[in-house]
Amino acid sequence: MKKNILVVDDSESIREVVSTALEEAGYETTKAIDGQDGLVKLHAAQDIRLVISDLNMPNMDGISFLKEVRQIEKFKYLPIVILTTEAQETKKRAAQKAGATGWIIKPFEQNKLIAIVKKVLG
Amino acid sequence: MDGMRQIYIEEANELLDSLETALLALEENANDKSNIEQVFRAMHTLKGNSSMFGLTHISDFLHNLESIYDKVRIGELALSKELLDCTLAALDHLKIIVYSPDLEDPINKERHQQLSNEIQQLLDFETNNVPVKEDLLATKITASKTYHIYFEPYPNFFDDGSNPLLLLAEIAGMGKTVVVPHFKTIDFIEEFVPTECISFWDIYLETTHDEQSIFDVFVFVHDSAFINITEIPYQGLLNNPSFLEKVHATASTAAKMDIQELLSLSESLGINDKTLVEKSPKPNDNTVNGRIEKNKEKVASSVRISSDKLDELMNLVSELITTQASLSLFSENNKIAGLETISENIEKLSRRLRDVSFGMTLVPINNMFARFQRMIRDTAAAIGKEINFSTMGGETALDKAIIEKLVDPFMHLIRNSLDHGIETKEERIRLGKPEVGDISIKAYYSGVFVYIQIADDGKGIDVEAVRNKAIEKGLLGEGQNLSDKEIFNFIFHPGFSTAKVVTDVSGRGVGMDVAKRNIVDLGGDISIDSTTNIGTTITIKLPLTLSIIDGLLVNVDNIKYVVPLSAIVKCYEVENKLMKNNFNRLLILDGEQIPFVNLREEFDYELSCNLLSQIIVVYDGKHKVGISVDAIVDEYQAVIKPLGKYYKNQDFVSGATILGDGTVALVLDTNKVIDLHIKNTMKYAN
Amino acid sequence: MQTNKNTQTSKTDRSAEKIKSFLSFKLDTELFAIPVMDVIEIVEVPPITKIPQSPEFLKGVINLRGAVLPIIDARVKFGFPSTEPTVNTCIIVLEVEINEEAIYVGALVDAVLGVFEMDENAISPSPTIGAKYKANFIKGMIKNDDNFIMLLDIDKVFSALEVDIVLEVSE
Repeated sequence: MKKNILVVDDSESIREVVSTALEEAGYETTKAIDGQDGLVKLHAAQDIRLVISDLNMPNMDGISFLKEVRQIEKFKYLPIVILTTEAQETKKRAAQKAGATGWIIKPFEQNKLIAIVKKVLG
Repeated sequence: MDGMRQIYIEEANELLDSLETALLALEENANDKSNIEQVFRAMHTLKGNSSMFGLTHISDFLHNLESIYDKVRIGELALSKELLDCTLAALDHLKIIVYSPDLEDPINKERHQQLSNEIQQLLDFETNNVPVKEDLLATKITASKTYHIYFEPYPNFFDDGSNPLLLLAEIAGMGKTVVVPHFKTIDFIEEFVPTECISFWDIYLETTHDEQSIFDVFVFVHDSAFINITEIPYQGLLNNPSFLEKVHATASTAAKMDIQELLSLSESLGINDKTLVEKSPKPNDNTVNGRIEKNKEKVASSVRISSDKLDELMNLVSELITTQASLSLFSENNKIAGLETISENIEKLSRRLRDVSFGMTLVPINNMFARFQRMIRDTAAAIGKEINFSTMGGETALDKAIIEKLVDPFMHLIRNSLDHGIETKEERIRLGKPEVGDISIKAYYSGVFVYIQIADDGKGIDVEAVRNKAIEKGLLGEGQNLSDKEIFNFIFHPGFSTAKVVTDVSGRGVGMDVAKRNIVDLGGDISIDSTTNIGTTITIKLPLTLSIIDGLLVNVDNIKYVVPLSAIVKCYEVENKLMKNNFNRLLILDGEQIPFVNLREEFDYELSCNLLSQIIVVYDGKHKVGISVDAIVDEYQAVIKPLGKYYKNQDFVSGATILGDGTVALVLDTNKVIDLHIKNTMKYAN
Repeated sequence: MQTNKNTQTSKTDRSAEKIKSFLSFKLDTELFAIPVMDVIEIVEVPPITKIPQSPEFLKGVINLRGAVLPIIDARVKFGFPSTEPTVNTCIIVLEVEINEEAIYVGALVDAVLGVFEMDENAISPSPTIGAKYKANFIKGMIKNDDNFIMLLDIDKVFSALEVDIVLEVSE
């Protein structure tokens, strides 16, 4: 059974690049366009093993999304990896405080992404 | 990864469009914060995407622009004409290099360098531009406050990789900052543990952000540092040399600023907050004030869908409607308990589904207008004319595919108005017209068509000149008498252009004939109306191709027709004998004299043996005409299918629809039936 | 409405002979053929809705599984008077090319005879003497058993224009 990864980003280009890279590495992916959509997809899919999420998104940003997800018993320990740009080092810390499992700095290389995913999912 | 590139380009173009719209809006109103936010967001996302794809030229180019607009966004920088012009130029450059991001073309490379320098200068100028005089502060629109921040990381601060300098940088980004560093005293060098943090800071910040935002910067390091924020209720301190001298006095020592001392110092040197002119009235909630709150309004988020999927959805909905019609029929013919209610519910649901799904490919014509605005602005400037461009009915929606095909013909028509229509400023003044020329676009629905009118208040088209040219070209006989409108139609003949000079701006190969052909290909039509020295109006008519329309199903000699409800005024029942031998071809209905068209006669059917006929009075915006049919069957939701090329000449039928029983009904174009009547009246008059 | 999908005979790859499949049909007393490749399907005749003021050869439109299909009366096209449909009358649904656009149209014919294979090289040019129809509509003549079958250029025959196919005797 392929492991399902949720990719949350308001930029279609990023969604596509990330999900394609993951699919090529043998994972299944679900995509969401912002935090709100991410919550919906998370509940609907039932089998998400990992979430990769951007921070800057309209409607519901990454930090809020993190906080919302962590409040749900089922997803308390769901691995959530944050995508941030270098300039947001401090936000990265805020994300960690809100419950992020790890982070990847944009732009990132495909191998690095897969390596981190493998490390988190085992 | 070619598909990825395509997605990147599509998204980039969307972002650049949204950027352009916001920039043009800011030209009108520089204070609209939502537009500034839109500019920033577009730049930020595009920069992120570009760096993701390794397109460093683009992402680097955007970096400074993004910084500038970040400053504008938090109120630190004002929008100037220079900045906007430069940004628009940068936008144009980006539109080009999205397709060739490596700047292979030397022209692109040069422009890139030039614009980058300009942007750098703007950024440097603005950051170094410090208001020196204290009274300048009185003119600040948003209230900024002064804070003292004491930041002392614990010795173990570095343990998790935290970097205090980054935090300081973030504070500095929030406003005018003065940072005074300190070091704890080390008595013995052997005691010094290099991995421990012995630095701490007094930070003075003048910002429009509120205390909470400052606090948020340190949100994670609360466990590993001591932070204290104090508001200093005095203004102008950070520009005051005495104040600066005092606070810097303890720099690089272990002595931190004492708060009490700070407050009394501030009191003596600063301007009390309360003496300032309080916040100027805030016209709209968009102006930045303190807490940068997430825009709580529901921002309409959008999803991109492939047009194939949309087409498929549309087809399915159409088939659903057709099948639902069969269900209705079945339910009528077979009285089964409960079936009628279910059938009615399905009818209501499919109607709603139809409206929603067909609404999806309809795009408001506004999008097109934005492009024209840009073109008019640039072209008018280039040819020294001043134009007021206004639009009406921008929310009128058309099929997306049609809008795309309209851009070129419309551009050409507008260029014509700009170039040949609107006179020069001097000429206009001489004629007593306002110096600024008027170009307007108006869009509205009528029946199953959309009308778009492009009008200018220029010098108009000389009917005589056109007439003579037409005679010259052998298109018109000398003695032939045609209406002005018909004469103007000759303008659409290939090679007809009466423009004496093919200017650089318009008339380059793309003629009126091509514009007309493009519009006719879409199933539309174009006509010109003009008065010398008053102006010219061009009317374009286009079909709403995605048509499921509400109509009235009627019978004419066993053939069923659908009359669009939107065209119908009222229905009457009339005795047939009133229509026979009716020389005036007029009926008196509700006290009004209304001309009528006898469809049976028109369509060469045998005359009816019935006693009664139904008259459906329709309106085309100008005339009311009654159309006689044998019987009205029912209201009907018609999925219109095109008849195709074979029936191009039978234009009074705009399409066909499949009824619940599988037979085909024809959809009447009532405007054309009215035209038919007018033609007949003239025929009878002669 | 019953639809009979015509059977496509496989195009066997015999390079020396170019074998093609043709569908033959009857109009009045004459026999015609069209390449099977151009035939989409053959259907029985449902109620046809005539469009008023349209030329006689345009019989009207029918509902073909939810699509509106124009019907051309082939009899009229070839100079025969229009008649009432018989039990054998049917509609051949064709794909024709008009102005570089592929369009579906239905041809109303008196009867469909069948499919036969023919070597392309064995198709003779249409005769000029005693020709009934204008040359550019007929691609060639096929002799099958005792019958002469005229092979049609469907793009020309079924174009949207009201062109006369029949040669005037005086020409």
